[in-house]
Amino acid sequence: MIQKKNHGDLRIVLEVWRQNGPGAPGAFEEHEVMANEHMSFLELLDVLNEQLVESGRDPFVFEHDCREGICGSCSMTIDGKPHGPRDRTTACQLHMREYRNGDRVRVEPWRANAFPVVKDLMTDRSAFDRIQQAGGYVSINTGSAPDAHAMPVNKENADMAFDAAACIGCGACVAACPNASAMLFTSAKLSQYTLLPQGQPERDQRALGMVDQMDAEGFGNCTNHYECEAACPKGISVTNIARMNREYARATLRRRD
Amino acid sequence: MNSFIRFLSSSIGRKYVMAVTGLSLTLFLLVHMAGNLTLYAGNDAFNEYADLLESNPLLPLAEAGLLVLFVVHILFAVLLTGRNKTSRSDKYQSSLGMGAKTVASTTMWITGPVLLVFLVIHIWDFRISKELLDEYDLAQMVVDRLRHPVGFVIYTASIGMVGLHMWHAFQSAFQTLGVAHPRYRSLIQNTGRLITALLVAGFGGIPFYLFFTG
Repeated sequence: MIQKKNHGDLRIVLEVWRQNGPGAPGAFEEHEVMANEHMSFLELLDVLNEQLVESGRDPFVFEHDCREGICGSCSMTIDGKPHGPRDRTTACQLHMREYRNGDRVRVEPWRANAFPVVKDLMTDRSAFDRIQQAGGYVSINTGSAPDAHAMPVNKENADMAFDAAACIGCGACVAACPNASAMLFTSAKLSQYTLLPQGQPERDQRALGMVDQMDAEGFGNCTNHYECEAACPKGISVTNIARMNREYARATLRRRD
Repeated sequence: MNSFIRFLSSSIGRKYVMAVTGLSLTLFLLVHMAGNLTLYAGNDAFNEYADLLESNPLLPLAEAGLLVLFVVHILFAVLLTGRNKTSRSDKYQSSLGMGAKTVASTTMWITGPVLLVFLVIHIWDFRISKELLDEYDLAQMVVDRLRHPVGFVIYTASIGMVGLHMWHAFQSAFQTLGVAHPRYRSLIQNTGRLITALLVAGFGGIPFYLFFTG
């Protein structure tokens, strides 16, 4: 198909990681794609995959769901930056207007032993689910709506809890961390409950459960580079990690077993 | 399992140990540096200070405490770093970086072992070797060491390593201990930088003074 060159069209040279399964050897494949500045990065990959399918080759596997920056699925490292070069932006919200005609872009999966590659750019991030299940919840009666103001929450704590709850669990923090540590994710998921009155009954067991699960999953240890905070598409602050450290120490002092 | 053992087996518990021992060693370094400054007042002043220290009956206890601090700090660093270096077997093919990490933060696992080598040399030079002598002039031993080009280079380079290590370590320790209120963040960071500068200037000034006035 001959396409007329439109205003805003860009020729992009993509180097995309191809890997057939967990532990299989992988390599970059080079492809040239015509993009438009209005496309998102995922749409660029869609165009590439269409080209591949039309020529009878395997498309690249990559995860996506909402395409509006809130689901945390589009995990990929673009030129050494999780979710690409734009601050506080997921790959699906990264638009090709960030690039120039002729740019060469390298895409690879999250790399961490706790996130094994499923295929190509897709990784298995169920380690996050298990951390969440180890204490990232509150056991409250959800039967009927409680009266407003029945449980007072101060504004500052509500704001901090909300900021922590903005975490979409995409794993960019692990991907960006030189040690592949999951402390930013775990601390955000812990903080969103611990800062609120509803989170108090399970406060200690949450801290112990989530941190122990995080360690069991094979993530590295935080060495306070703060690369995670810089990579986080939701701007989750490393003060959450400090809170998790306090919570874990506190829970250790209070534990009875 | 005992809750203390469990704490020490966890990532956060181990980080706590690094922070507490690290900050304690920082305090030691400050006192050590203050003592060294007596060299500027001449060899006699330095020797008098050394005599005063050595005549203190509590010195062996303090030395044992220091040994424990160093050993624990090093041991837990090995445990934590070992895990950190094996948590990503398949490396990135592009250079990974968001711009937040620093030369100091990424070289902690290098400056640490280098400082351990220096520590061994340093303890041999000024702590163990004098035990083998009947009579010694500690100040003269220091002066001879630091006026020798090899001694001068090893010492000044090692102090540079202390500076690099400390630049990251101080604020990192507070973050690990959970002291990270936004209101105190810059205070902690600036205090760390000030202490680092003091240590580098205090320790590092002496070899230059001796080398270029000798």
